[in-house]
Amino acid sequence: MGRNDIRLKRQRLSSGRIAQHRNYGELMAIHERDKKIKRITRVFVYFLIVAVLISIYFIVRKWEIKDGGEGKKASSRQGILYHDASVLRS
Amino acid sequence: MSEAEIQQEYEILERSKKDSSAFGELYERYYDRIFRFIYRQTDDEDLTADLCSQTFLSALNNVARYQFRGVPFSAWLYKIASNEVNKHYRKQKKVKVFSIEELRVRELMEQTDEGWDEELIQRMLTYLKELPTEMLQVLELRFFEDKDFKEIAFILDITESGAKMRTYRAIDRLRKNFNLRIKYDGKE
Repeated sequence: MGRNDIRLKRQRLSSGRIAQHRNYGELMAIHERDKKIKRITRVFVYFLIVAVLISIYFIVRKWEIKDGGEGKKASSRQGILYHDASVLRS
Repeated sequence: MSEAEIQQEYEILERSKKDSSAFGELYERYYDRIFRFIYRQTDDEDLTADLCSQTFLSALNNVARYQFRGVPFSAWLYKIASNEVNKHYRKQKKVKVFSIEELRVRELMEQTDEGWDEELIQRMLTYLKELPTEMLQVLELRFFEDKDFKEIAFILDITESGAKMRTYRAIDRLRKNFNLRIKYDGKE
């Protein structure tokens, strides 16, 4: 076999035969379904992006609160240490 | 295609961008041509129907993005169809089929009926089998679809000079090998 398969057609495909496959209604139905799927996917993706952003916001806030609390604790512990040292000195 | 026809088609396209049902007019106008174009590259009616539907569906889904680039709208459809066919062969990993109508070949070759015999046809088929796919594609678009070089270049994503070169090379080879006169209208 060569690079391509060449076939000789003795007769031309008739227009009537081609017309049997023509169905614009079906094509429109598929197109509408595709459009719907696309719209739903888009909404879902937007929702997902918003959800991820909100989650990131809350995670960052939680960390900040946690960091702030630990900072206060550390400073108050230092205060106790200084206080203890002064008691010892006296 | 006349300026008025291109303008009318452009108006339909603009309507289709807002209302997909307007696309029906273009579907009716080009279905047969695109079907035959795909059928020539598959030789399978059901497969052709599938690929043809896929072509028009793809066109309908992307019609909003269509931009006029100096070639008729049909060239865009041929381009999509050609891509669909190539995609099919890539997936199936099969040898590409080109089915040629005998009557059309006879029309193209300025040969009298007496000069045509079965042996010559068989020799030509064997010869065409060895031609690179790219050459067969340009020959098909040029002689079976009557496309000009600008359209061929757009459909196959090559330069206009590239399309000309491929066509002339293929014609020269045919002339030399078969001593045939090929009908050529010199259309640019």
